[in-house]
Amino acid sequence: MMSFWPSRWCSAAAAPAKAASRQDVGVLTVDLLVQQQNFRLQLNEQIPLQGVTALFGRSGCGKTTLLRAIAGLDHHPTARIHFAEQPWQTTDTFMPVHQRRIGMVFQESSLLPHLNVQQNLLFGYQRRVSRLQVQLQPANVIDLLELDPLLTQAPGQLSGGQRQRVALGRALLSQPQLLLLDEPLASLDQQSRQEILPFLQKVARELNMPMLLVSHQLEDVVKLADHLLLLQDGRVISRGPLAQQLLQPEFAACGAMSVLTAVYQGCQHFMLQLTVGGQLLQVPAPVNSPTANGSYRLRILARDVALSLQPLADSSVTNQLAVTIIAIQAAAHPAEVLVQLEVADQPLQALLTRQSAQRLALTPGQALFAQIKAVALD
Amino acid sequence: MLNLAPEDWLAIQVTLKLCFYTTLILLLIGTPLAFWLAQGKSRWRTAIQALVALPLVLPPTVLGFYLLLLLGPHGAIGSTLEALGLRHLAFSFSGILIGSVIYSLPFTVQPLLEAFRRMGQRPLEVAATLGANQWDQFFNVVLPLCRGGFVVAATLTFAHTLGEFGVILMLGGSIPGETQVLSVLIYDHTEAMNYSQAHQLSLGLLVTAFVVLFIVYGLNRRLEREVSL
Repeated sequence: MMSFWPSRWCSAAAAPAKAASRQDVGVLTVDLLVQQQNFRLQLNEQIPLQGVTALFGRSGCGKTTLLRAIAGLDHHPTARIHFAEQPWQTTDTFMPVHQRRIGMVFQESSLLPHLNVQQNLLFGYQRRVSRLQVQLQPANVIDLLELDPLLTQAPGQLSGGQRQRVALGRALLSQPQLLLLDEPLASLDQQSRQEILPFLQKVARELNMPMLLVSHQLEDVVKLADHLLLLQDGRVISRGPLAQQLLQPEFAACGAMSVLTAVYQGCQHFMLQLTVGGQLLQVPAPVNSPTANGSYRLRILARDVALSLQPLADSSVTNQLAVTIIAIQAAAHPAEVLVQLEVADQPLQALLTRQSAQRLALTPGQALFAQIKAVALD
Repeated sequence: MLNLAPEDWLAIQVTLKLCFYTTLILLLIGTPLAFWLAQGKSRWRTAIQALVALPLVLPPTVLGFYLLLLLGPHGAIGSTLEALGLRHLAFSFSGILIGSVIYSLPFTVQPLLEAFRRMGQRPLEVAATLGANQWDQFFNVVLPLCRGGFVVAATLTFAHTLGEFGVILMLGGSIPGETQVLSVLIYDHTEAMNYSQAHQLSLGLLVTAFVVLFIVYGLNRRLEREVSL
């Protein structure tokens, strides 16, 4: 996930689109200027067409405007949009929405009310199946999203979470090259969110389809995204892999956290054995989903990480990693500091009181031990 | 009980023909017009909307008067037709059809406009992202979602044309088989003190109008319940 990222992605200057073709992964190039009464959105970005890219920012920062421009739902005459080698919008061409192969999931329910679930699911499929090589069959999507019991129901009979699940399945069945999710969870209550999140994760992981996710919920972003574009007042202020982006000071305010990618080694006594750069981490295995080879994403809140100069032997904390201090920054609260650490080239953050940091005489470059009290598994 | 003269039957025929063609033409014109008005992006929108609503407030005689001037032998359209070797349109079925179309325009556009607004942009955006072009969107999304609006628009247009009088009298006069519609014939019967004939036609018109409206509103309520489910 880290290695693929081209280095220019991390610099603000946009490189010419040609350079991207050398990579295996295409890019979505967006050059956009929207000027309305009290609102201005200006950006020139290259978004990798791989994994989940989150467009993150507060409400009104221009996320949805950007997504709608990419979809072609709004026509901004000055915009330039290229999907890999396909021109979607240039100086004198504009590919209409129905010809762009996008799957869109809107914020609120968007099921066509005069059709039942099955008819909704097949609406896009039927329109593309004759012209394209079908990659996703209805049976597979129905199976993946567990839609079978809903097929004959009318949209009005479904719960909010079920509706979004059908909308997701419908978008997938239209055989998109790019999935656009406009705050798909925002209109749902906590319980429905929990119902649909696993399905979004499943789609992201199993279908290998590039996704753009608009969200103002850090929780959703951290669970789903691989890359992140941080928007503020109509500008992209930062971009890059999720783990690095979480170090941005903007996130400290909403609860600093880190994401570690760990490799599965085995499972013993209901504990997953994972390694980060050769160091062992043990995490309670998920109860109702089977464990699997591959990599796991661990979410760790900065306040759940403690630091010690020597490894702790007699502690209830199982997970201890040897780390190096990269930087020490001010945190949201004046009495606290945020310590940026590194473990096997992956960033990890710890939130300490200023007092503790002084007592341990922490300095950048110092090697020490991080105790991790709680880990959330995705 | 029903004792209609041949000229009464002829008037019924002309009236039904006029209502049918007016409704058909107005659905064809009114649908794109209402759709365009519902999008609400152009700055011409307000002016066009006022123009569409004009027949609601204007005395039919004013409308009929100007159409008579325009379509008659000396009017811009009438004289052009004459120059092309055709007949001008005053005192003809085509003339009163044009008059009816203009006169009933708001009764088609208003219900459709309301239905399109209630539907909103979202279903169309959804259909577009799923690969449906504009025609596909119209037939498979707009038509089923707004069928109540279409039914009301068609009925109101039909019923309103049924009761049209002023425009037709000004523009078409009272030529049996050509421009003599029921409302005009009733007027003629009354003028001739032929009260029983006038009574029969009036009552028939009243009952027909009520029954049509009653059936359609009932139907519309059922359709809306279905769609909102």
